[in-house]
Amino acid sequence: MNDQPMQITLSQWDERYQQFQKMGLQEPYYGGRLSRHVEDGDRRLLKLKFDNSAAALRLWNFLLTEEQRLHQARAEGKKIIGTMKDLGTIPVMAYSLDNLIAFYPDGAWWIPCVMELGANLLQTADTLGIDESFCPVRAMLGAFVTEAHFPLPDQLICSVGATCDDFSAIAQRLNSLGFSIFWWEIPHRRRPETGERSAKLPGGFYAPVSQIEHVTSELQRIRPVLEELAGQQLNEEKLSTGIKKANQVRRYLDELRQIVFTAELCPLGSLEMLIAEMLAIHFCSDQDEAIVVLKGLVDEVKSRVKAGKGILCSDAVRIFWINPVADLKVMNLLEECGGRICGTEYLFTHALDPIPEDLPPYVALAAMALADPMVGSSADRADRIFADIKRFGSEAVLISRIPGASHCALEGEVIAEVIRARLEIPILEIEVPPVADSICPTLCTRIEALIEIVKERRVK
Amino acid sequence: MGNIIYTCPFVPAEWIAAHGLHPGRFLPEAKGSNNSITHLEGVCSYVRAFVNDAMASQEAIAVIVTTACDQMRRAYEILIRKCDLPVFLLNVPATWQHKGAQRLYLDELKRLGDFLVKLGGTSPSNDTLTGIMTGYDKTRTSLLNAREHLTSRQFSEAIAAFNRGDKKTISTDPANGKVLFTGIPLAIVGGPLFRGDLDLFDTIERSGGQIMLDASVTGELGMCRRFDPDKLRSDPLKELADAYLCGIPDASRRPNTGLYSWLENKLAERKIRGIIFRRCIWCDIWHAELCRLKQWTSLPVLDMDVNGQEAVSPRMMQRMLAFLEMLQ
Repeated sequence: MNDQPMQITLSQWDERYQQFQKMGLQEPYYGGRLSRHVEDGDRRLLKLKFDNSAAALRLWNFLLTEEQRLHQARAEGKKIIGTMKDLGTIPVMAYSLDNLIAFYPDGAWWIPCVMELGANLLQTADTLGIDESFCPVRAMLGAFVTEAHFPLPDQLICSVGATCDDFSAIAQRLNSLGFSIFWWEIPHRRRPETGERSAKLPGGFYAPVSQIEHVTSELQRIRPVLEELAGQQLNEEKLSTGIKKANQVRRYLDELRQIVFTAELCPLGSLEMLIAEMLAIHFCSDQDEAIVVLKGLVDEVKSRVKAGKGILCSDAVRIFWINPVADLKVMNLLEECGGRICGTEYLFTHALDPIPEDLPPYVALAAMALADPMVGSSADRADRIFADIKRFGSEAVLISRIPGASHCALEGEVIAEVIRARLEIPILEIEVPPVADSICPTLCTRIEALIEIVKERRVK
Repeated sequence: MGNIIYTCPFVPAEWIAAHGLHPGRFLPEAKGSNNSITHLEGVCSYVRAFVNDAMASQEAIAVIVTTACDQMRRAYEILIRKCDLPVFLLNVPATWQHKGAQRLYLDELKRLGDFLVKLGGTSPSNDTLTGIMTGYDKTRTSLLNAREHLTSRQFSEAIAAFNRGDKKTISTDPANGKVLFTGIPLAIVGGPLFRGDLDLFDTIERSGGQIMLDASVTGELGMCRRFDPDKLRSDPLKELADAYLCGIPDASRRPNTGLYSWLENKLAERKIRGIIFRRCIWCDIWHAELCRLKQWTSLPVLDMDVNGQEAVSPRMMQRMLAFLEMLQ
């Protein structure tokens, strides 16, 4: 069997899978051929290119079987929390209790892409008055109404305050349809006033202590809701244990990002890296398995780097990517155009940074929640991006606008201005809809122009 | 007296006035000449107009922006970069039903107070604040009581004048006590109005309708509840915070059930026969309420989306005339 790392199509994966099986591949409970997911309607897989490692196979199968896991959890008597918008906070609390599962219905925003609009979720949202002027996360509304993509959660918990208006409005619409929501508040993270008590947050931002106290009290308001569902207390000891486990995931991700983004030859594609990062927010509904999956990826990239092997040309341009894409295929497209990802800011860097283990656990979690790049200013966000550009040696920045998202209209200008003031680096904005096939030529042209500019700069 | 400009209803005018400064909540012009926001796609026209007017203001000494709307929160970043005036971002919690949110808002008002002192204001005593709040409460009540004696435009103009702190408008001349009502009773519901939108009220009247309920953010909807005299005496700032945070049933509240309770009462009280739902394109908060409102009410609802290029486009005018004809 060819062990050269490369990106392969779904049908090539089927052949490879047979070879892996002959060689005695040990698979977890959710293993199997990748192409079987197409039979469930995940047609976008037919257009993607995947990493050819067993670790990547495990990652994809883990991602694409989440719905079954949620149904299985319910069948086992576990309670399901639908946690919305905070991206990485409430799941740490939920998974500290042994009979709760938490997931983000927000993740339904990728269903129109993965099913190539076949699930009609966007049309369902249209009928509820949430049209294409809203962010593709409106697919979540369709997923709730059709009840076809995840079991309805026993409890919905949604963070509001400093959130994008799209999400807040869609969650309110959901609430008006009879879905009960527990609302909690994360305020806009402001810079401390002169003389005001402040604290450093994970990731390096500063916030007034009063804001950390506010978020801590909000988490304490959520605590009894989870305790009642779980029939268990979420005391500080339990939460501390939960934080340590969440940090295991974060440490593996940090190692993975460091290796992949700084390696001379790119050892893992941007698509797998995007999905790996997503595991941080709610562990794809199985925290233990998420750790195993990430460890597998780290081992794989370590061995590739050691062997001097990679999946892309050595001159691939090192791109820092801002915002997640609604169409996964665009990650492949970047690589086809001659780029590679070296640095990301997919709106949840706070879910990647270690949660402090030396603070009272609720305070630590509150500090982490306040470090959310979306609750602060775009200038703060740009500061973090700048630091990561330096860390990973990115040569260009690509801001991927999310269609209709309230934050995307104004943030690009500020982020670009802050970065340009400190660094001579090309910055490009693109917009990616859930299925980008019709605009792929335009996207290609724009990305290729960026790649060309960077290559010219290298020569100079 | 230094003019502090803003548009959000969650900025209490009483608090600014108690510091000895002038609260100037204004309606921006739809067509701003100074295009301070370079990127236009996806940007709410109201946000754009507010930024343009704030930057062009000759009288203001400072600008207040709030977090009640995400694009306004982000506009703050544009203003602090491009505007010479001091700019303050007030955190307005989206939740309101628990003590944590109320405490957060109260702390924010105190922080706003510090900002106002730095601008030359004076930190008010409880007595001063109580006096100012009582005065505003009386004016607000007399303004609401005068509604029946004013044309819909006069009433909305009076609210706008009250909001920008124009004292003359308070002494409205209510048509010699006559009740002015002739047309089909309509409500305008939705986000904030531009200055030029007040012409719309005249057009509606000329076409046989009458706005009997201005439930726009810049109208009655955006007015805080009356102050409780006992609470006002014991802790005026706390009462001020409560009357604004819990007493303005804006669509941005989470949950925003208060909006529908408020509308239920007002629509019945004013015998409304049709609703003009007015929203700026790219305003997600109000846009998301349109379908819900249509499902909630048995009244006909006309969707009026505006892009900020003109107060009412010819297309929209035709839609409105057809709507009124249907209601005749």
